[in-house]
Amino acid sequence: MSTIEASPEVGHDEHGHDHDHPPFLAHHFDTPEQQFDSGKLGIWLFLVTEVLFFSGMFCAYAIFRALRPEVFEGCSQFLNTKLGAINTGVLLFSSLTMAWAVRCSQLEQHKGLVGTLAATLSCAMIFLGVKAIEYSHKFGMGLLPAGLFFYDPSNPHPAEHPSYLAYICAPFALALVGVLIWLVVSVATGNKFQVAVAKPLSVVCLCFFVGVGLGTVLESGDESAEHVDAHADPDGLATAEVMLDVEKSAEAEAAPAIAASGAMVPVDETVLEILATDPTNVGVVSGLNALEQQTAAAGTSTVTGDGTILGAITTTEVDVMTPTTAGVFFSIYYCMTGIHAIHILAGIGVLVWLLVRAVRQDFNRQYFGPVDYVGLYWHLVDLIWIYLFPLLYLIR
Amino acid sequence: MSAGSLPSGSQVKDPGYPTPSENYLTNSKGVLSWIFTLDHKRIGVMYLVGVTVAFAVAGLLALLIRLHLFQPDGMVFQGEEANNWYNQVFTLHGAIMVFLFIIPSVPAALGNFLVPVMLGAKDVAFPRLNLCSFYLWVFGALFFVSALCASGLDTGWTFYTPYSTTTDSSVILATSGAFILGFSSIFTGLNFIVTINTMRPPGMTWFRMPLFLWATYATSIIQVLATPVLGITLLLLIAERTMHIGIFDPEYNGDPVTFQHFFWFYSHPAVYIMILPAFGIISDLISVHSHKRIFGYRFIAYSSIAIALLGFLVWGHHMFTAGMSSLTTIIFSALTFTVSVPSAIKVFNWLATMYKGSISLTTPMCYALAFIFLFTIGGLTGLHLGTLATDMHLHDTYFVVAHFHYVMVGGTLVAFLGGVFHWWPKMFGKMYSEAGGRLSALLVFAGFNLTFLPQFVLGSRGMPRRYATYDPEFAALHQMSTWGSMLLGFGLLVALVVLLRSLKTGKRAPANPWGAATLEWECTSPPPFYNFERAPSVGDPYDFSNLEWDAENERYVKIEPAREIVPEEQPAAEPVHADDSK
Amino acid sequence: MFALMNNMPNLLGDQFASKFTWFPKQASTFAAENDWLFFFITWICVLFFVPIAGCLFYFCWKYGKPKGQKAESNTAHNTPLELAWSILPSFFLVAMFVMGARSYLNQRTVPEGANNIGLKAFKWGWTMDYGKGVMNPELHILVNEPTKLSMRSSDVIHSVFVPAFRAKKDVVPGRYNYMWFEADVASEQVSKEELEQAIIENGDGVWDYDKWQFTQDGYKFFDLYCTEYCGKNHSVMQTVVVVHETVEDLDAWIEKVSKRPVDQTPEAWGEKLYNQRGCAGCHSIDGSKRVGPSFKESYGNKRTLTDGDPITADEDYIRNSILYPKKQIVAGYQPVMPSYQGQLSDDDIASIIAYLKTVSDYGPKAAPKTDKEETSTEE
Repeated sequence: MSTIEASPEVGHDEHGHDHDHPPFLAHHFDTPEQQFDSGKLGIWLFLVTEVLFFSGMFCAYAIFRALRPEVFEGCSQFLNTKLGAINTGVLLFSSLTMAWAVRCSQLEQHKGLVGTLAATLSCAMIFLGVKAIEYSHKFGMGLLPAGLFFYDPSNPHPAEHPSYLAYICAPFALALVGVLIWLVVSVATGNKFQVAVAKPLSVVCLCFFVGVGLGTVLESGDESAEHVDAHADPDGLATAEVMLDVEKSAEAEAAPAIAASGAMVPVDETVLEILATDPTNVGVVSGLNALEQQTAAAGTSTVTGDGTILGAITTTEVDVMTPTTAGVFFSIYYCMTGIHAIHILAGIGVLVWLLVRAVRQDFNRQYFGPVDYVGLYWHLVDLIWIYLFPLLYLIR
Repeated sequence: MSAGSLPSGSQVKDPGYPTPSENYLTNSKGVLSWIFTLDHKRIGVMYLVGVTVAFAVAGLLALLIRLHLFQPDGMVFQGEEANNWYNQVFTLHGAIMVFLFIIPSVPAALGNFLVPVMLGAKDVAFPRLNLCSFYLWVFGALFFVSALCASGLDTGWTFYTPYSTTTDSSVILATSGAFILGFSSIFTGLNFIVTINTMRPPGMTWFRMPLFLWATYATSIIQVLATPVLGITLLLLIAERTMHIGIFDPEYNGDPVTFQHFFWFYSHPAVYIMILPAFGIISDLISVHSHKRIFGYRFIAYSSIAIALLGFLVWGHHMFTAGMSSLTTIIFSALTFTVSVPSAIKVFNWLATMYKGSISLTTPMCYALAFIFLFTIGGLTGLHLGTLATDMHLHDTYFVVAHFHYVMVGGTLVAFLGGVFHWWPKMFGKMYSEAGGRLSALLVFAGFNLTFLPQFVLGSRGMPRRYATYDPEFAALHQMSTWGSMLLGFGLLVALVVLLRSLKTGKRAPANPWGAATLEWECTSPPPFYNFERAPSVGDPYDFSNLEWDAENERYVKIEPAREIVPEEQPAAEPVHADDSK
Repeated sequence: MFALMNNMPNLLGDQFASKFTWFPKQASTFAAENDWLFFFITWICVLFFVPIAGCLFYFCWKYGKPKGQKAESNTAHNTPLELAWSILPSFFLVAMFVMGARSYLNQRTVPEGANNIGLKAFKWGWTMDYGKGVMNPELHILVNEPTKLSMRSSDVIHSVFVPAFRAKKDVVPGRYNYMWFEADVASEQVSKEELEQAIIENGDGVWDYDKWQFTQDGYKFFDLYCTEYCGKNHSVMQTVVVVHETVEDLDAWIEKVSKRPVDQTPEAWGEKLYNQRGCAGCHSIDGSKRVGPSFKESYGNKRTLTDGDPITADEDYIRNSILYPKKQIVAGYQPVMPSYQGQLSDDDIASIIAYLKTVSDYGPKAAPKTDKEETSTEE
C-alpha cells in the first residue's frame, strides 16, 4: 500500500496571493462575497446586542413611569423640547448623509464619500454640542441623579457654580486646536494626504461649537418662558409643608443643630427624618416616606357617610421635586441619554477612522463593507434617539 | 477478525506529520508572535493557559473554604475578621470560577481552536475580533485581581442589592471586570455565529456538521443575547453605588428585587452557556470512542437550540422565596420543568449511541462516562429545586450548592477535561500516558462524589449556604466533604501533571489517534498554521466505516479502495489514421 | 473524624430523629407533605438514574472491544423510541409540578385569624415584635395555631428559615413580606434542676444556645437561621423558635420578658438586655475592639467623634447612641449600628445605662460587676 503524504505543492509564503485574492480580501475568506456576508451578519448581531443593552434601561423607565407618572410629567418640563427637536432633526439628517456615503462608496465616488462622511461627523458633533448645553444647564440647576440632586425651586439658578460647560467643552476645544495645528503643519510640509484628512476634520471639530452656540441661543431665548412655567405651577411643585422642608434639608445632610446641642429630641417624625439621612437605613426611610404620604393624603381625603372615600390618595399633592422623585427621573434621563451619547462618541471615533480610509481610497465597488456596517450602526444610534426623544421630552 | 491489519487492496490516506515551519506552534518564534497572533489556534492555546491559571486560583480558594469548614467554628480563619475573610474567599471563588473559568473555558479555549478546523476553514470570520476577545478576558481578569488586592469583594458572586450597593469592598472594580469580561464573551459568540453561518465548506449542510458545532452555535446565540443584559445590570449597579440613581433603593422608590430579576435574566442563560458546549463535547466523545454513529443526531441538535431558547424563560426559579406573586412563581416553576426535557433527551441518546458500539475505555471516554453519571445526578436534583414546595425548604441551603456543583463541576469541568484529553494530541502533537489519564479520571470522579454527595444531605437537614461557621450537628458531613475535596484537588493535579509531562516525554501523535471522522482529524497533529491548503471534502462526521486501526503505527487511518491508474497504455507514437491523409 | 461520628447523637440535640435521616424533625403542618414530596421526587429520580447508570457500566463491560473492531450496529435513529423517552417522563414532571404548586399555594395563603407576630431583621440579629411594645429576639408561638410573621428589614435582604417547619421567606427592605406556619409539635421543657445547673454554669454573658440546646427559660427549641447572605456575621445571625403548649404558657413568657421584673436591679436587667438584644455581638465588655467600641471604655470616657468633635459619654450620649446611632460616631468606627427606636422602653434604656456604668473603667466607683446577686448601690 502506498501512503500519500500531504505535501503542499504551492509554496506558502507570507505574500503568496493567488491572482484572484485581491488585497482587500482577508486570507481566511475564499471570496469577497463571503467576506461581505460575514461582516453583514456580524454587524447585525452586534446591533442585536446593543438593543438588548438598551432594553434594560427602557425596562427601568417603564417600571418607574408606571409607578409615578406625575413625576415624569412634572420633570419633563425641564427638558427643552426645542433643543431636543433640533437634535432629532440633526441626527435624522446625519442618517441621510450616512446612507448617501454608503452609496458613494458603492459607486467609487471617493470625494463624495469623504464629503458625506464629514457631513455625518459634523451632525454628530452638533448633536453633542447641543447636549453639552443641556447637561451643563441642568448641572448648574442641581437637576442631577438622585444621590446628587440639589434642585431648589426657590433658587433655581444658584449664582455660584463651577462652569460645567467649560469642563465639557474642554476636550473638544483641545481636539479642535490639535486638528487645526495638524492642518497648518500638513499644509506647510505639503503632505497631501494629511491635508485631505485634516481639512474635513477641522470642519467637524468646529461643528461642536456650532452646536454649543445653537444651544445657547435657543436655550436662553426659551429660558424665562420655560422656567416661569415650571415655577409658576403651584400645585405639586412648590414646597409648602414644614415636614417636607425638614426632609429636604435633612437630605442635604445639614442637620447640625440637633447634633450639636446634644439635647434629647422628642420622639416624633422629625426623629425618623434624621435617621433618614443615613443611606443604609433604607427600610426605616421608606417607612417614613409612606408615613408622610399618608398624612399628606389624609388631609385631602374624607370618608363619607356610606363609607366611600373622597379625594383619595391618588390625587394627593405631592412634591415632585425631591431627590426621591425627580431624582429618579433624572437618574433615568442621564443614564439613557448618557449611554446614548457614549455610543455617539464611539460612532464618531469609528467614522473618523472611516474618513481616513476614504481619503486613502480603500473602498471600491467590491469592497465597501466597512462603510455599510458603520452605516447600520449609525442608523441604530439614530433610531434609539428617535425612541428617547418622545419618551423623555414629549411626555405632556 | 484481527484488529489492526489493513484490508488488502486499499490505500491509506494520512496527512503525516507537520514540518516545524508548518506547525502552528513553531511557524513563527518569539513572544511577540504570540502576543499579536491572529491565528485562532494560538489564541485558543493562550485562552487554555489563562483559564487554567484562573481555575487554579479559584480552586485553591475552594480548598481554603473546605479546610475552614472542617470545624464548626472554622479552622483556617481566626480572630475578629475571620468571617470577613471567609466571605471574601467564597465570593472570589465563585466570581473567578464563573466569569474567568467556566464561561470562557469550552467556547474560548477549545472552541477557538476547533471551530475553524472542524469547518475546514482557515480561521474564524473575524480574527482580530478574536484576539480582542482574548485581551478583554485578560483585562477583565486584571480587574478581578486588583479587586482582590484592594478592599476585596464580599458580596457573593451574585452581587445582591442592597448589600452590594452599601458595602465598602471593591464592588466597582469587580463589576467593571465582569462588564469587560461580558464583552469578551459577546465577541466570541458573535464570531462563532458568523463563522458557522458563512464559512461552512461546500457539502457541509447544517445537518452534516459535527454536534460540537451545533452546541457552539446554540451557546453563541445565548452569549450574544443574554450578556448585554448583564452588562447593563452591572452598569446600573455601578451607577447606584456612585451616583445613587435609586433604582435598587427603596428609599428612592426602587426595589432591591429588581436587581435579582435583571441579574438572573442573564445568569440563568449563562448556566446554559456553561453546559451546552459541554454537551457538544460529550456527543463527539461518546460517538468517537464507541466507534459508532451518534444516535438521534437531529434530536440532539434541536435540543441544543431548544435549551438555548427555553433557558431565557426560567430566571425566576432563583427567586421563589423573594416575594414574587404566586402566579409568577408558579409559571416559572412550570417553565423550569420544560427545560429539563431536552437535557434528558440527550442523555438517552448518548446511551443509545453506546449500545452495541465498539467501546474503547480511553481517558476521554472515562471522562465522558463520568460526565453522564454526574450530570444526571445534578440534573435530577434540579427537579427537587424546581418543585415549589420542596424549594421552600431547600432554597439557599447546601442542597443548592451541591446541585450546581454537580452540573458545573461534574458536568462542565469533567466534559472540559475530557475534551482537553481528547483533542490534546491534535493541539500539541503529543500522546499522554493513558494510565495516568485514566487514574486522574477515577480520582476526580471519586473525589467529586465524596465532596458533594454529603452536601445534599447537609442541605436537606437545614444547613444554610454561605456560612463561615455552623452548628456542630453538621460537622460530620462537612468533614466528609472536606476529605473529598482534597481527593478531588489531587486528581486534578494528576491530570495536569499527566498533560504537562506529555509535552516533554510524550509520543508523537498521529493525525487521527482516536479514529474520528470529523474534519479536524484530517490535518496533521498539530495542524499547520493555515489548517487546510484547500477546503477538504466533506464526509459524514459520524461515519466510521472507512477508518481502520493501524496497529503498527498506533494510529487510525482513512482507507480508500485502491485506485488503478488509467490509462495503462501510452499514446502511440503516430496517430492511428495518419495514413489516411494520402 | 470517626470520633466525631461516635459523638454525633450528643451533638444532634433534638433536631434529628435518627443519625441517618435526611430531614430535621417534622414540627409543622408543612413538614410531612414537603418530606413526602421530596421522597416522591427522589424515588422517581432513582427510577431513572439506576437504569442510566446501570446501562453506562453494563455497556462498557459488554461492548468494550479492542481497537479497530467495528461497532456491532450502526442504527442511528428510531423516532418512536425518541418520542417515547421524551414524552413519558413528562408525565412524572407534570405530577411533580402540580403537587409542588398545590403545596406551595397552601404555604403562601395565610389563613384567616392567624396570630400575627412582627419580625424585624437587621445586621445581624432578629427582633420579634409581640405587640404592646414587647420585643425579644426569640420567636415564641403557640402549638396547633397558625402563626403569621410580618417581616421587614432595616438594612439589606435577609431570609427567615426554620428547617424544622420547612418554612422560608426572604425579608426585603422597603416592604413587608409575610409568611405563615402552624407548629404541631410543642417544645419540651427540661427539668428545673438541669435548668438551674445550666444557668450557673453559663454564668454571665451570652446564653450558649448551642451548648445547652435549650433556652434560658428551659425550653428546647428549633433553629431559625438567616439564609440570605448579609455580610460579616451572616453565619451567626440565628435565633430560636419555641412552641408553647398552652396559651397561658405563652402569655406568661411574654409577660416575663416584657419588662424588668420587680425584684431585679436595673443593672442586672441591663446586663440581660446587653446579652439578649444583640449588643454583645458588636460591643465587648473586656476591652477588645469589635464592630463597635468596647463598653469597658464607654461610660464617662472622653471620646473624639468622626467629625473631630470631642464628647463625654454621659447618659445623654448613651441614650442618643441607642436611639439615633448614626449621628455621633466615635472616630475609627463605621456607622453601622441599627437603631433601637421603638424597641426599648425608657426603663430598658435606663437599665442599660446603669449596667454600662458598672462595666466601664470610667464609671462611678460601684460594686464589682461580677457580683450579680449583690444589690449594687447605684445612684
